[in-house]
Amino acid sequence: MSTQHIAGKRLGDRLILLAVIVLALIWVAPLIWVFGLSFKPNAELMRHTNVLFSPPFTLKNYTDILGNSSVFRWILNSAIVSLGQTFLTLVLCSLAGYGFARTEFPGKKVLYIAVLAGLAVPEQAVVIPLHHIFADLDLHNTYSALILPRLAAPFGVFLMTQYFKAVPKDIEEAALMDNTPRWKIFWRVVLPLSVPAQATLGIFTFLNAWNDYLWPLISASKPEMYTLTLGLATTQGNFAQSEGIGFLMAQAVFAGLPIFVIYLFFQKYIVSAVAGTTVR
Amino acid sequence: MAGIQLAHIQKRYGTTEVIPDFSLDIEPGEFLVFLGPSGCGKSTLLRMIAGLEPVSDGEIRIADQPVTHLPPGARNLAMVFQHYALYPHMTVRENMAFGLKNIGLAEAEIERRITEAARMLELDKLLARKPIQLSGGQRQRVAIGRAVVKEPGAFLFDEPLSNLDAALRNRTRVELARLHQRLKTTMVFVTHDQVEAMTLATRIVVMNQGRIEQVGSPIEIYRRPATKFVAGFIGSPAMNFIDAAPIASDNRHLTVRLPDGTELETAINADQLGNGPLVAGVRAESLQIDESSPIRGRADVIERLGERTLAYVTLRDGAVVVAEAHRESPIASGDHVGLRFDTRNIHIFDQAGRAWHGN
Repeated sequence: MSTQHIAGKRLGDRLILLAVIVLALIWVAPLIWVFGLSFKPNAELMRHTNVLFSPPFTLKNYTDILGNSSVFRWILNSAIVSLGQTFLTLVLCSLAGYGFARTEFPGKKVLYIAVLAGLAVPEQAVVIPLHHIFADLDLHNTYSALILPRLAAPFGVFLMTQYFKAVPKDIEEAALMDNTPRWKIFWRVVLPLSVPAQATLGIFTFLNAWNDYLWPLISASKPEMYTLTLGLATTQGNFAQSEGIGFLMAQAVFAGLPIFVIYLFFQKYIVSAVAGTTVR
Repeated sequence: MAGIQLAHIQKRYGTTEVIPDFSLDIEPGEFLVFLGPSGCGKSTLLRMIAGLEPVSDGEIRIADQPVTHLPPGARNLAMVFQHYALYPHMTVRENMAFGLKNIGLAEAEIERRITEAARMLELDKLLARKPIQLSGGQRQRVAIGRAVVKEPGAFLFDEPLSNLDAALRNRTRVELARLHQRLKTTMVFVTHDQVEAMTLATRIVVMNQGRIEQVGSPIEIYRRPATKFVAGFIGSPAMNFIDAAPIASDNRHLTVRLPDGTELETAINADQLGNGPLVAGVRAESLQIDESSPIRGRADVIERLGERTLAYVTLRDGAVVVAEAHRESPIASGDHVGLRFDTRNIHIFDQAGRAWHGN
């Protein structure tokens, strides 16, 4: 390889790096803005909002959250709904995925195609029927109503099916030779091997559930059943001017913290999931 | 140790018949090897014995008990898989203990068996490791250890050495032979590698297209192959096959003429042999380079293997045969050489592929 070619390649790499940095800054700038404003007094922000890096700074917006608002209730609701949804989705998708990957039953192919077809159904198309069903069951404004509709997760079933198919069959056969009942093979042998796929699915499910807005907006009409996204949206709509932008920004930061922590700890799974592979 | 009886075993996938009708008695304590090319049904047969593959028809008995419809874990067998099939998330100790815990064995007994097997297979220092931290050879030893601790009636091996490099394969082969001598348990071994079969087996079953071609001891199969398929499959280099026409026979000697005009008087009684065209078979060690011989050819390729030298010789009619020369023979590529047939060790194959041997 010639020196000129190497120099050209280095320049190309640096230009790509520069472009990535610029794009990253564009993406991260609003977040920094939100973070910065959350430490500014509301009175000052009533006058202008281009005072990000100049004093005074305050923690009052955060102490207000801790002292007065409904944010904790909404965070609790969001945590219950997101964790419940994640746990149940993992259970159902793992069982369904294992069934599709490793067992034989009549109509398996048709059923699998039907599940996959679910990927093509937009959320908005089923909102009204779902609303009717949960109204008939008198379940609106309950955790069940917030969790159950999201358990139909065709992507999760697909992901787990593909993953279980990739687990070498002879490991299960070795377990059969070891006198292991089917349920125990699933529980003790196959499920532990699927942790990377479980982590990927779990993270996506949790993030989707945490950020979900449409269904909670329809199902939860009582403020005590609001999830965080819904609660913040109502606050923004009704009280942004009176309670102050700084307080609003602090709520947003507060709401985003769990997501941030999850990204921090599970980023390798998220990256591999986005890349379309799984870490093994 | 347990004997295994296979009675009229059949295996079909839809309309495809993989094993048409297979019967065999495996004696208690013997080391039986199923040998054959890929796709001959040997692994399917082993999996049917293990219970991992349902039998379409026929009966399997282990230790005189019918097990045809029993699940794999209830057959008192242990299996070693080609790709080890260790549980990746468990340590070596947990891998070995898993099956024993499933049958409710006491902790003390589990520990005793693991300690004993680990000492026998030199796994003592690896017990706390996970499979990913082991080399291929170590993994295979763990797989064998996992089978040994079960103290089964019979061991099943599904090409367990094929993933190892040549040196490790040789070593593991010797370890398996030692293991069999020590445990004296029935072992059924599947391979397509004739060296493994020849060195390990007390009996070899040569299979082709789901059928038995021949059952016998390694030497028997090498010296007196029952069919042309067996003769061609066993031995390295493969047996030389040359078209032959019968020209004279009495009740002790059959004389045939080869395409290049060479006439060979064999030690074969040809009373039952038909009149059709034949094939003469001769192994390289029975076809020596001998300058004094009138049978001539040109040496194209010379292989010096250390203990012997092989020459690929083109005969006058264009047929190529492999002959053996002395290990220090000065023979070179392109030389015109003489060939001497050891007529006592010539085999004749009739049109149906059946073999006829000298007495």
